[in-house]
Amino acid sequence: MTTLVHQMMIKNNTHEASFRDPSGSLFYDQDVLRRSIQPIYFSQYVALKERGFFDSLIQKKLLIPHTETSVSYEEIIITPEKIPFVTNPYEWSFEQYKQAALLTLKIQKYALSKGFILKDASAYNITFHKGKPILIDTLSFDFYKENTPWRAYKQFITHFLGPLVLSKYHGAEMLKMMQTYIDGLPVQLISSLLPSKTRLSSILYPNIHLLAKLEHKYNNDYKNEAKSGNLSKKAHENILTSLYDYISKLKQKKQSEWVDYYSKTNYNSEAFLNKKKLVKDWILQLETNSLIDLGGNDGTFARTVIEHVSNILVTDIDSNAIDLNYKQVRENKELNLLPFVCDILQPSAGIGFCNTERESLIKRLINFSPDVTLALALIHHLTLSGNVPFEKSAAFFALFSKNLIIEFPKREDSWVESLLIRKREFINHFDFYDQDNFEAKFGIYFILIHKVRIEGTHRILYLYKKK
Amino acid sequence: MQFLYFDPGLGAMIVQAIVAAVAGVLLFTKNIVYKIKIIFGIKAKEDVTDSIDIDDNTSTSNDD
Repeated sequence: MTTLVHQMMIKNNTHEASFRDPSGSLFYDQDVLRRSIQPIYFSQYVALKERGFFDSLIQKKLLIPHTETSVSYEEIIITPEKIPFVTNPYEWSFEQYKQAALLTLKIQKYALSKGFILKDASAYNITFHKGKPILIDTLSFDFYKENTPWRAYKQFITHFLGPLVLSKYHGAEMLKMMQTYIDGLPVQLISSLLPSKTRLSSILYPNIHLLAKLEHKYNNDYKNEAKSGNLSKKAHENILTSLYDYISKLKQKKQSEWVDYYSKTNYNSEAFLNKKKLVKDWILQLETNSLIDLGGNDGTFARTVIEHVSNILVTDIDSNAIDLNYKQVRENKELNLLPFVCDILQPSAGIGFCNTERESLIKRLINFSPDVTLALALIHHLTLSGNVPFEKSAAFFALFSKNLIIEFPKREDSWVESLLIRKREFINHFDFYDQDNFEAKFGIYFILIHKVRIEGTHRILYLYKKK
Repeated sequence: MQFLYFDPGLGAMIVQAIVAAVAGVLLFTKNIVYKIKIIFGIKAKEDVTDSIDIDDNTSTSNDD
C-alpha cells in the first residue's frame, strides 16, 4: 500500500521538464529532486555504473554527482546533487555557451573511448554549477555500436554550433533565438542566416550548409534506414576533434555599451568606495546566505561579499559584461558566483510544452528566494528607459525579495539628466520621478530599514525589508 | 536498432561520412603544419589551448 501511495505521489510530482526520454524521469520527493530509472534503461545504467564510467565522469567534474537511493525490479531511484539555480542556454553569454558546447564534445569523445555515446546533445542537458558547465542528464548515455554515426550529431549542430556561429557573425543576441526554438535552431534557418562566404569554410560548409541540404533532401525518406551509413570510430573522433578545435577558437562579434561602465560613471573613486562599503556592511549585517545582484555588470559589487555569501547570482542585460564576469569566475575558480544574461524589462518566459518545460525566470527566482536583492544603478533605467512606474517596479522586486538594497539616483544625477533629456517634449510626463514618489510607492510593499546618501553623489541607498 | 526517442535525421546520418572525411584532411594538415613548425623551431601558440582529450589519470578535467 505504501509503495502504491509512493508511486502515486511520484506521478503527481514529476519535474515539468522531464518527460521526453522514456529511460526515466525526474520527480520531487518532498523538496528533494530525484531521478527514476525505468527497466528499459537498466542494462545501460548497470553498465555505466559497473564499468566505473559514472564514477570517473563525476570525479572529473563533468557529470553531476548522484547517489543510488533505491533499487527494485520496477524502478531504480537515484538522487543527484542539488543545483541551487538552473540557468537555460538562452541566458548564457557567448563564452558560457562556448564552454557548454566544448564540454559536450569532450564528454562524447571520452564516452566513445569507453564504449558509450551521448544519445542526445541537447543544450538543456548542461547547466552551470560551482563555476563550471556540467552535464546534468545522467541518463544521456547509451552503448556505442561499432561503425554507427553519432545519432545526436544534428542536435549538437542545432543546439550548439548553429547558435555559436550565428553569434560570431551577428552578435550574442542570436543566442536568445534558443528561446523560440526549444529543439534547437532549424538547420535550414542557420544556413540561410550565415553569410555566403561561410560556404567556403571547410567546417561550416559540411557541418551546416551541406547538412541543411541533405536534411531537406531526405526529409520525407524516413524508411530508408539502410542508407544511414557507416562511420568508423576514428572518423567519428575526427568529427568531434575538428568541431572542438573550431569552437574553441570562435569569437563573437563584439558590441557593448556597458563594458567600460565603471570608467564612464560619474563617480569619483571615493564615492564608489563609499557605496561599496555601505553595500557590503548591510549584506553582512543581514547574515546573507543567498544574493542576487540585478544589473550587476561584471560582478564588481557581488565580489565584495563573495567570501561571506554561499550563493550569488549576478545578472546583466549585456552579454559582454556576463562574459567578463564569467572569465573572472573561471580565473579565480569561484564556486559560488553564477552570472547570467537577463533583461529585467523582459525576463525569460516559461517555454516548451504547457509553457512549463523550462521555467520562467520569475518562477525560478521565487524558488531561489534570495535573502538579499541588490538593485544598484537600476531603477532610473527601469523607470526612464522602460517607462515602468515605481509601483510596478516595487511589485516586481517584492515577488522574490526578502531584503532589497536599492539605489535611487536623484534628478540631479547626470545619468538621470541624460535619460530625461531623451524624453524631449514628453519630459513633463516624467515629473513623478523623485524621491518622495519613489519612497511612497516602495512603501506599499516594503518597510524602510536604512536610508543613506552616498557621499559625493546625487544618489541615495535604501535598505528595505519586505512587508 | 538502438532505442531512441527523437529522430536523428537521415540527412544528418549520411552527412557525417563527408564531415568526417573533411575533418580528417583538416586534422592531418594541421598535424603536418605543426611538425613543420617544430622543425623550424616555431613554437605554435595552440600548444596552450585546451584539448578535447580527457586524461584518465588526472582527477579533474573540467578546470580550464
